[in-house]
Amino acid sequence: MTRSRSPRSSRSRGRRGSSGIGRWLGWALKLGLVGLVLLAGFAVYLDAVVQEKFSGKRWTIPAKVYARPLELFVGQKLSKEDFLTELDALGYRRESAASGPGAVALAGNQVELHTRGFQFYEGAEPAQRIRVRFSGDYVAGLSQANGAELAVARLEPLLIGGLYPAHNEDRILIQLDQVPPYLVETLLAVEDRDFYKHHGVSLKSIVRALWVNTTSGQVRQGGSTLTQQLVKNFYLSNERSLVRKLNEAMMAVLLELHYDKQEILEAYLNEVFLGQDGNRAVHGFGLASQYFFSQPLAELKLHQVALLVGMVKGPTYYNPRRYPERALARRNLVLDMLAEQGVVSAEVAASAKQQPLGVSQRGSLANSSYPAFLDLVKRQLRQDYREEDLTEEGLRIFTSFDPILQSKAEAALAQTFKSMAGRKGIEQVEAAMVVTNPETGEIQAMIGSRQPRFAGFNRALDAVRPIGSLVKPAVYLTALERPSQYTLTSWLVDEPFSVKGQDGQVWRPQNYDRRAHGTIYLYQGLANSYNLSTAKLGLEVGVPTVLKTLERLGVSRSWPAFPSMLLGAGALTPVEVATMYQTIANGGFNTPLRAIRNVLTADGQPLKRYPFQVQQRFDPGAIYLVQTAMQRVMSEGTGRSVYNQLPRSLNLAGKTGTSNDSRDSWFAGFSQDLLAVVWMGRDDNGPTPLTGATGALQVWTGFMRRADPLPLNMPMPDNVVMAWVDAATGQGSAAGCPNAVQMPYIRGSEPAPGPACGQTPADTVMDWVRGWLN
Amino acid sequence: MSKWLIPVLTSGALLAGCATNPHGSIPVVESGSSITEEQEGGPVYQAQAPAAGPAVQALPEDSGVVVMVPQQSSSRIYPAGETPLSGTVDAQPATSSGIVPGPVTDGSSSYAPSSSYSPPGHDGSSSYTPPVASAPSGIPQSGSLAADEQLDGPVLALLTTAQQQQGSGDLNGAASSLERAQRIAPREPQVLYRLAEVRLAQGDAAQAEQVAQRALTYAGGRPTLQASLWELIAQARERQGNAAGAAQARERARVSL
Repeated sequence: MTRSRSPRSSRSRGRRGSSGIGRWLGWALKLGLVGLVLLAGFAVYLDAVVQEKFSGKRWTIPAKVYARPLELFVGQKLSKEDFLTELDALGYRRESAASGPGAVALAGNQVELHTRGFQFYEGAEPAQRIRVRFSGDYVAGLSQANGAELAVARLEPLLIGGLYPAHNEDRILIQLDQVPPYLVETLLAVEDRDFYKHHGVSLKSIVRALWVNTTSGQVRQGGSTLTQQLVKNFYLSNERSLVRKLNEAMMAVLLELHYDKQEILEAYLNEVFLGQDGNRAVHGFGLASQYFFSQPLAELKLHQVALLVGMVKGPTYYNPRRYPERALARRNLVLDMLAEQGVVSAEVAASAKQQPLGVSQRGSLANSSYPAFLDLVKRQLRQDYREEDLTEEGLRIFTSFDPILQSKAEAALAQTFKSMAGRKGIEQVEAAMVVTNPETGEIQAMIGSRQPRFAGFNRALDAVRPIGSLVKPAVYLTALERPSQYTLTSWLVDEPFSVKGQDGQVWRPQNYDRRAHGTIYLYQGLANSYNLSTAKLGLEVGVPTVLKTLERLGVSRSWPAFPSMLLGAGALTPVEVATMYQTIANGGFNTPLRAIRNVLTADGQPLKRYPFQVQQRFDPGAIYLVQTAMQRVMSEGTGRSVYNQLPRSLNLAGKTGTSNDSRDSWFAGFSQDLLAVVWMGRDDNGPTPLTGATGALQVWTGFMRRADPLPLNMPMPDNVVMAWVDAATGQGSAAGCPNAVQMPYIRGSEPAPGPACGQTPADTVMDWVRGWLN
Repeated sequence: MSKWLIPVLTSGALLAGCATNPHGSIPVVESGSSITEEQEGGPVYQAQAPAAGPAVQALPEDSGVVVMVPQQSSSRIYPAGETPLSGTVDAQPATSSGIVPGPVTDGSSSYAPSSSYSPPGHDGSSSYTPPVASAPSGIPQSGSLAADEQLDGPVLALLTTAQQQQGSGDLNGAASSLERAQRIAPREPQVLYRLAEVRLAQGDAAQAEQVAQRALTYAGGRPTLQASLWELIAQARERQGNAAGAAQARERARVSL
């Protein structure tokens, strides 16, 4: 680099040389010539560098991960409140009329909005003005703003994260025609007034900067042009030296030689550093707009533009989330400059100065991190793509993540912990949760830690814990697949017993309440989670058979066929439990859980799909019976506290699970459209003060209360019949007989119908009353 | 011409560059400083080995499990995975359960599915011409679906979109649109029926059969649709080389009507 110094000095001397001595002149000439040749060579080299990087792919873009787009259609279960939450997260502006993309206007139960349009895997969703009318918690009307019917529409999806390599730049590429009004004018007014006049370097601005800085006695203004700033960030290191400045200037001039102003400006807008988000560097106005305002750049207003441009000078110093006063002062200074230079009128500037900063809050739906779900997405992607494809190619990953359900799950978890505050040992209890759609197999929400924002140990995927009584539906399903042997009203004996295991050890199961419950109906063993009767049933059908049932349910662990497995000694992760219960909830059809729907390339071309897959593993009749017993868990068994908070009409099925010494508190259950698994326990596997019912079920209930699901309603399979039985004896009965209840049976396994009683229970009572009166 | 220009300009640039003020230029990345709240104050756990990977997506496709499907008269063997459960393989109808599938209807109608119905795009070629979107009746275009199948707005719209995509050879797009419809109406068997059709056109006969089976569980009281589903299952079984199973499915298709 010392080479570049000599030509300058020799050249300046050369100019003076005309009045000097001939000998000096000769030397200077020779030196000058050598210097010129060296300089020319270096310039050619720099020129190649400049062109090479600028003409190719200028930036690598990390893959972007999107939540599910919110669908809108008449009859959709969606409260207006949740809808507005989603719109807020997407950065929709509340206005009196939905004037342009990203605007929303409220009028009573009607919401008018102008969607932004988006390129999806299935095709392009247009930007359009639509009206959504709500009635209760349902969408009652959907139309275009001109009144035309609209069958279905969807919002653009919320961006929930990306795949960044450690210490990487992230950006959303924008083009010059996508920038909002005033952005370019403001940028030039503040950073480089002579941009359109200079050739890469501007003597005028250097002089101005020198003047300003010397008169004020401090460094207030820089003389670098936008081109120099771009070169500095684009090609050069962070080193501050004269040599580097020279380099920068040369390259700026070279850049201007090859590329026009618009191209340089566009590159600048995408390159400039505007903030730091953990390991992720926020580059370019496109991403900065999303990061600070949760809005697309094109929609920004003057005061927002002024803030971002003002931050160019010092993104950390003027960080509006951390130093709002500084940022506000800087923004208002920029607005003043605009008024001074006549870019905007004084009135416009003054009114913009009245605006708040308008930066979206961290932790709001728009600005939250979902480390557990993203972890799941990344693991899947890393199986299918190379790391560099994920971090460089700008792929768009569309997932099934539902931010509204996620926030409800998080709220339920937080509130449960809050209500347990003060209980001994509760502060060490961790938690995990998985929420899926049982009919599609899509994962909609996931919590991997009691603190859902902390990335780290993802318990939803990685905490392998004994499942306790969660295993019991598999025992009963195994039995109910043999309708000639077992029905829901078969008798089971709940009495102490012991068996000798293969290892010679004697196994003596016990009930949770340490009591025996005598002779019970089969379904009662599951509903009340009795260990004695369940273990006996499991031994009757055979431990290996139960393990095979588990495998068919989707559990792929090779557990030894010990009797203790019948009571849940085997350990699973929450997401594995979700897979297992998914098969039960989905009518016996196993569906591999999915988090990713599809992938588009950076330019919107379809790349990959993760299709819905299903496989029938069980007779729907047997599943129907197990679901019936699991509904009894909720209506009369260990899960009945759920109806302290939820209406009785809401049909739910589920199962509590508690491992030895209350080390694990589980609940897994489902409605028609939602399945949720909750685990609570300690990372060190120590005992907790919680059972499945007092811990995980409380979170589950709180979640379901907020999510307001559809009642479970499995269509009755062809091979299932309803029969009247005497509730006390289990014998066949008939409608209208005393104690007669209806139970489902696999056709052919129902008890023979009893004789008709010929009168209703009410009649019987009246007869009795009459007899007493007589 | 720029040969001489370059050194001159660069020299000028050097002079100018010397004088530029380092301040005010674009600040560079400060990777060390974190501005996010969430980075602060929380315990950082050492992640365990991603042992649950397989539980997420890499779930075994199947385990060689045999399922007795109540609506049909024979059990089927699923393609065996790496851990076949030989114990449950049972090539005969499950005798222990004694489940007798009840006929849905009397089967008196003379329905000849193979002559009147042929699903589109079997070979994935473009021989199938899509119905134009102007068809007012909506989607059911494949012959056997009767007009009694009432669908409401969003599902109808998406099935129409899917049909257009399928017609233009975009089977992935069609399947994707159908899954979108499935999310809106998960229990609408016509959506699953269309999805099974597209799977078959894509050459995935096994999934076509399974999706159709799932649709059947939702198609109670809709004999026309049941017949179409059984016919589709028959074709999927033929593709898988299961002639006997196909014949049984055809029998079911006839009984359904």
